[in-house]
Amino acid sequence: MENNNVITPPDSIGTRVEQPVKYTAKDFSSGLEVRWCPGCGDYSILAQVQRTAPEINVPKENMVWVSGIGCSSRFPYYMDTFGFHGIHGRAAAIASGVKIANPKLSVWVATGDGDLLSIGGNHFIHACRRNMDLKIMLFNNRIYGLTKGQYSPTSEKGKKTKSSPHGSIDFPFKPVSVALASGATFVARSMDRDPKHLQAMMARAAEHKGTAMIEIYQNCNIFNDGAFLHLTEKELKDENVVYLEHGKPLLYGHNKNKGIRLNGLTPELVDLSKGEFSVSDLWVHDEHDINPARAFILSQFIEMEHFPTPLGIFSQIQKSTYDADVEEQIAEVQKTKGIGNLKKLLYSGNTWKIE
Amino acid sequence: MAQKKLGREIKLMKGNEALAESAIRAGMHAYFGYPITPQSEILEYLTEQIPSRHGLVLQAESEVAAINMIYGAAGAGARVMTSSSSPGISLMQEGLSYIAAAELPCVVVNVSRGGPGLGTIQPSQGDYFQATKGGGHGDYHLIVLAPASVQEMSDFIFDGFRLAEKYRNPVMILSDGALGQMMEKVELQEEWSLPYTENPWATTGKPASRERNIITSLHIEVELMQEINHRLLAKYEQMKEVEVRFEEYMTNDAEILLSGFGLCARICQKAVDLARAKGIKAGLLRPITLFPFPKKQFAQLGKQVKVILDVEMNAGQMIEDVRLAVNGTCPVEFLGRMGGVIPSPEEVLAKVEAMAESLFTVESGG
Ligand code: SF4
Repeated sequence: MENNNVITPPDSIGTRVEQPVKYTAKDFSSGLEVRWCPGCGDYSILAQVQRTAPEINVPKENMVWVSGIGCSSRFPYYMDTFGFHGIHGRAAAIASGVKIANPKLSVWVATGDGDLLSIGGNHFIHACRRNMDLKIMLFNNRIYGLTKGQYSPTSEKGKKTKSSPHGSIDFPFKPVSVALASGATFVARSMDRDPKHLQAMMARAAEHKGTAMIEIYQNCNIFNDGAFLHLTEKELKDENVVYLEHGKPLLYGHNKNKGIRLNGLTPELVDLSKGEFSVSDLWVHDEHDINPARAFILSQFIEMEHFPTPLGIFSQIQKSTYDADVEEQIAEVQKTKGIGNLKKLLYSGNTWKIE
Repeated sequence: MAQKKLGREIKLMKGNEALAESAIRAGMHAYFGYPITPQSEILEYLTEQIPSRHGLVLQAESEVAAINMIYGAAGAGARVMTSSSSPGISLMQEGLSYIAAAELPCVVVNVSRGGPGLGTIQPSQGDYFQATKGGGHGDYHLIVLAPASVQEMSDFIFDGFRLAEKYRNPVMILSDGALGQMMEKVELQEEWSLPYTENPWATTGKPASRERNIITSLHIEVELMQEINHRLLAKYEQMKEVEVRFEEYMTNDAEILLSGFGLCARICQKAVDLARAKGIKAGLLRPITLFPFPKKQFAQLGKQVKVILDVEMNAGQMIEDVRLAVNGTCPVEFLGRMGGVIPSPEEVLAKVEAMAESLFTVESGG
């Protein structure tokens, strides 16, 4: 049979064939026995993902979960979707390969602080830089769980762990800062213990086109129990968390009497009950600010004394994605140069017939 | 630095811990590593001990970083070590090729596990090819020592540093998850008993009186590169002449020779005893250095015995070297377990018995 030897992408993979069905959370569960330690924060993240998955505009058959190695990387086994349990640190690169080979797929990465930020730091920043349409869910428990409790790149300086028995002398990464600095176009933070918020963040990430990173504070109750207690416990949460909402002032505290204002580029904590400042003086969050400077300042709060920890979307901006650009470029080149013909190429130039 | 003398002492220790303790006693200046099962105890033991003893330890961001820190520290003249397990050792191969090319000493410990890929966390010997044939790109070899006990996990650290510094070449200690995790009695060597060598090549600063030193593995001129290749080859030839180590057990009158390294050598030794109790003349040849390989000993015994049974925890890797060594003088059969499964002495015995029987049948039949 004659053919032009034109290599076409496998159109049939990932395209929707059945009629749309209304799925439920259960449909996204693989039914496999979940093997995280009892009480691990990963269970909640899995539950929120399974609850949110039917609600977002992603056909179930197009959803892919890619992971590296670590406790969080067991995630793909538990989702009734295509999965990829990859190589330690390489999830972002593997996911980039999946996405570029089949841009129709909705590619999600389940990864941890060791996987994404230690060994995988390089791939992470480059995925962000390319703005590949990937959703990266970073389960940050500030410890290496799978290898039984060594300090990670997000562990606090001075932390005592199995590999830092006298206290860690490494400065930690602030993942949100790294993502922003690397050019990620959607950067958010949530918690395993805040199910509604986590669901909302996932839904927003699903809508976004480009690299989306959600840092999820996750409790490892075996090796780093209580790392986020001050953010999750009822009596402490209000005083220690500020929710970022687009167009709204940075207001927090049990009586909503505390706020943050920007004095130039310096954030300041203000007590509204003192009468010196009112709500109208506060920093109004703009998640679509094209200048990442303010989002970056927000990302520094976690290391600033007395400042609350921001949860929500730090930044969501529109930029062309690598996967869309590459298709566009191919179309453009083909328009000017025509579609390649392998057979013609093979029979061109220095060829001759043996007679 | 204060020189503590702890003396020789006998302790009950895990293989990984005995190895880590011995690295401190051998005067290691620096350790770089990344957690991976089943060898994280090495990193943990060192981070616990080193601040109050001597040396330094750094938990790197990956095995790639660790081996490059080794490259740097070895270049600066330090006695350095890293350790990992199979997938992490794969990540170090690029660095090892460069370190071998730049002729720097270091010790790399592989507490190996089942593969390929992420595999299992159970013991395996599937990294024999990688360890003995170079592992990274280009013509080079590591010196490979294969311990079979906690005692050797300890002793081979001293031998490893000694050999690495003598040849300015990386040394690999190829162990496995079982040896790393098992507890045995170990007689520890004296602290500071391993003298430091002069390293005139080390990057230690350049006073006016000293020529500058650039550590590199790049030699664009092909003739020069070939010359360096010859120099490396000459080192490997010398190793083959004087560094081969092996152990023989009941080989004097052996008709069936078992071969195995590391954990398998222990299993085989047990199987030899069981076979001898049944009147089968079995013996064992255990390579201790996997590179340089005890080729001559296999060649000699290959002429003496009727058949060799090679036992490995892999799909059959060392067997290729055994076959090359005996060069057709006797058949070489194989018993292998993979994926983290350890063969039992009884199943080795069963195979030996079957082999003995068929030998006998053949002999009486013809
Ligand atoms: S070790 Fe920690 S992170 Fe891992 S499953 Fe157990 S609780 Fe969860």
